[in-house]
This record gives sequence, C-alpha cells and structure tokens, in this order.
Amino acid sequence: MKIKEIVNILDAEVLTGELYLDYDIEEFAASDMLSDVLALTKDNFLLLTGLTSQQVVRTVEIAGGIGVVFVRGKTPEPEAIGLARSHHIPLLMTSLLAFEACRAIVEAINKKETK
Amino acid sequence: MTTLHSKEKLTLASELIYEIKVKDAMKRDVIFFSQDATFREIQLSLKKNRISGVPILDNNKDIIGIVSIDNVITSLDNGYVGDKVKHYMTREVVTIPQNYSLVSAIKKFEHYKFGRLPVTKNIRSNQIIGILTMGDILNYLLVSIQAIAEKAEKQESDNDDLSTKMARQTTKKRIRLEVNKADFDNAGRVASIVRNYLQKLKIEKQVLRKIAIICYEAEMNISIHSLGGYITVETKPSEVVITAVDYGPGIPDIEEAMKPGFSTASEQIRALGFGAGMGLPNIKRCADHLDLESSMETGTILKATIRLGG
Repeated sequence: MKIKEIVNILDAEVLTGELYLDYDIEEFAASDMLSDVLALTKDNFLLLTGLTSQQVVRTVEIAGGIGVVFVRGKTPEPEAIGLARSHHIPLLMTSLLAFEACRAIVEAINKKETK
Repeated sequence: MTTLHSKEKLTLASELIYEIKVKDAMKRDVIFFSQDATFREIQLSLKKNRISGVPILDNNKDIIGIVSIDNVITSLDNGYVGDKVKHYMTREVVTIPQNYSLVSAIKKFEHYKFGRLPVTKNIRSNQIIGILTMGDILNYLLVSIQAIAEKAEKQESDNDDLSTKMARQTTKKRIRLEVNKADFDNAGRVASIVRNYLQKLKIEKQVLRKIAIICYEAEMNISIHSLGGYITVETKPSEVVITAVDYGPGIPDIEEAMKPGFSTASEQIRALGFGAGMGLPNIKRCADHLDLESSMETGTILKATIRLGG
C-alpha cells in the first residue's frame, strides 16, 4: 500500500512531503511510545501516533520509517515539520482517533486482498 | 535555549502572540487622508488599494478621525459623497501603541469589532506610524511558525554537512560526538549524524538501522539519566563499535536496568514518548555484542559491537 492511498483512507491532510507519497508501506505501527517504534523489526513503516514532538520525526528517521500520521487532528511542532522536510518524510494529519484510523486501514487492506 | 515540551507546545500560537509586538506585524506604509479629502476620493483609494478604511491625519500625522467603507456607503446613501469628510468622519478612534503585544491588539479587535487599528508611537502620542489588521496578525503568525520549521531544517542540513565532512576524512576511523544533559530538543542529533555518516561509508541498510537505533537509545539515556557524556563510533573492516560514555551518576543495578519495562524516567520524559524501559533491551537486541560497565563514582560505559557483512 502506498502513502497516498492512506491519505484517502484516513481523509488526511498532507502537512509536508507531497512529493514522497508514492513510497510503498511495508509495515504499520501505532504507538505513543517511541521506544516501541525503535523496537520494530522492519524498515519502511508508517507510524500513527498521538505524539506531536519533533522526536517523533527523529525516531522515524532513525528507525528507517517512511511517514507519520498524526491522529485526532493534532498538529506537530513546527520543528517536526522542518525535520521532516530535511529527511523527505511525509507528515499526515487525520481527525480520526488512533483506533478508528487503524481500523480504517485494516478494512482497506482486507478489501484489497479479497479483490 | 527555548524548550517547547508536551503541554506548552500546544499553545505555541498563544505564546507567540504574547511575544510578538504590534510593530512587528503592522504595515508601515499607511495610506491616509487629510480631513479636507472628499468621500469620493477615499472611495476610489479604498478600491484601488483593496483596503476597507483609512485614518484621517492632521499635518503632524496625528490621528483625528477614521473613514471606513461603512462611512463611504452612508455618504452615498445620503448624497454627500462629494463633500469633505471632516464633518462626517468617525472621531472616536481606537488606536494601539506600537510596543503592545498582539494579545492586546486581538482583544481590541474583539471588543470594538473594528477592521483595523491605527498604531501610535507610544501611549501618550497620537502620531500614526503604522496600521494593523487581523490579516496582518495572521500573516505574521504564519511567517513566525514557518521560521521555526526552517530553523530546524537548516540545523539538519548543517548536521548533514558535518557527516559528509567526517565521511571524507578517510584516515580517521574513530569519531566522537558530545551529548548534553537534558537537551531534549536536540535529542537524536548525534544518532542522525552517525546514521548519515555511515550511510556515506556505504554500510548496508539493515546494519545501518541497528547502529542508528543503538546510538539513539544510548544518546537518550545519556541525555535523560546522566550528567552528560559522549558517543564514539569506530569503523573497522569487519565491525562497527559504538561506545557511549557518561560522567555519572552510574546505574545502581545493571541487571534490573536491562529488564524490558524497567524505567526510572520522569513524567516529563514519558510525555515525550520515552521512558518505556526499552532503551537498554533495544540496544542489546540490535548489537551483536554488548558490554556495560557502570560505577557510582565515574559513570557508565556502554560498548556495542555490530558485525558488518552478514
């Protein structure tokens, strides 16, 4: 699944990184603990989080992630946007709660597989 | 150093409106008229300049009235659009001194429902040096927020330059980077530089990821728990060795610290998304070999070895 599909599924706003929405997502993660994100075993993941600090983007950069979705309509710190621009990491914002966002993604994946 | 953490960062815009002064956000080229101007002249000027009101100034540039689009419409309705404004203009003018914060300006806009506030030199003066609209405030806020993002972006590009420089010094196989105590805004900077540096040395992606995570967790540990320290990266043909050294106070019980979920981090750290008690276990999982020595007198030395090439 590509990040640009997630934009539609979550009715998300792209805060930065419009040019990098064609990346393929290999794994999804939803967490408010950055150490959990660092414990992921795959690269190229998309992180859904309720955190808004610049460390979110830093963590995704370090752990080899390819994008972040801020849930519940939370906007990240301006520094996070600057960091994301430097590392070509798209940042999305959705008004859905983390659970609702995860469910919407799972439903979309299941629909794709049954096709 | 400015720090914006958890609770505070949600109120960035409100912080800014206290910090930014009226004089920063106002327009300095004020379009104004004398009281001898006619409503027709002002009507044409409003249209041409796409504004909705103008101050009326005397010869000293002191404000004596204001004419808004409403006044112009009334003059059209009542058939005195060709008359001078002096008998009809609004004389009860609300102004704001240039050194007031945007908060005061916003309060005035809310209270009086005016579209613009003429800006005076100071509270005792009627001399007009600028004009402020809600649009100007919004603009300036957006520019300020943008500037913060750009500063972070610039810092990242400086970090990248540094890693490029280090990668070029091929003779030097050991690099050292300082980590400051409690510097959470910069947390991850060292790991990011190391990651970029090793990427430029063409280290394999999966290995790179492990090394970066080790550096990041070690850097957070130094920043959160110690009095400061440093991280060194040693590149050998068959392995990379990451050494994280801090100046104390040391880990009282290493065995306990290695347990997943054990953490002594504060609420503030947890609000940032750290302190899950996964730091050392994560490092152990990513390293091929880990040595951890800690003394309550001298501090902690963590040495992680990662093999290259499978």
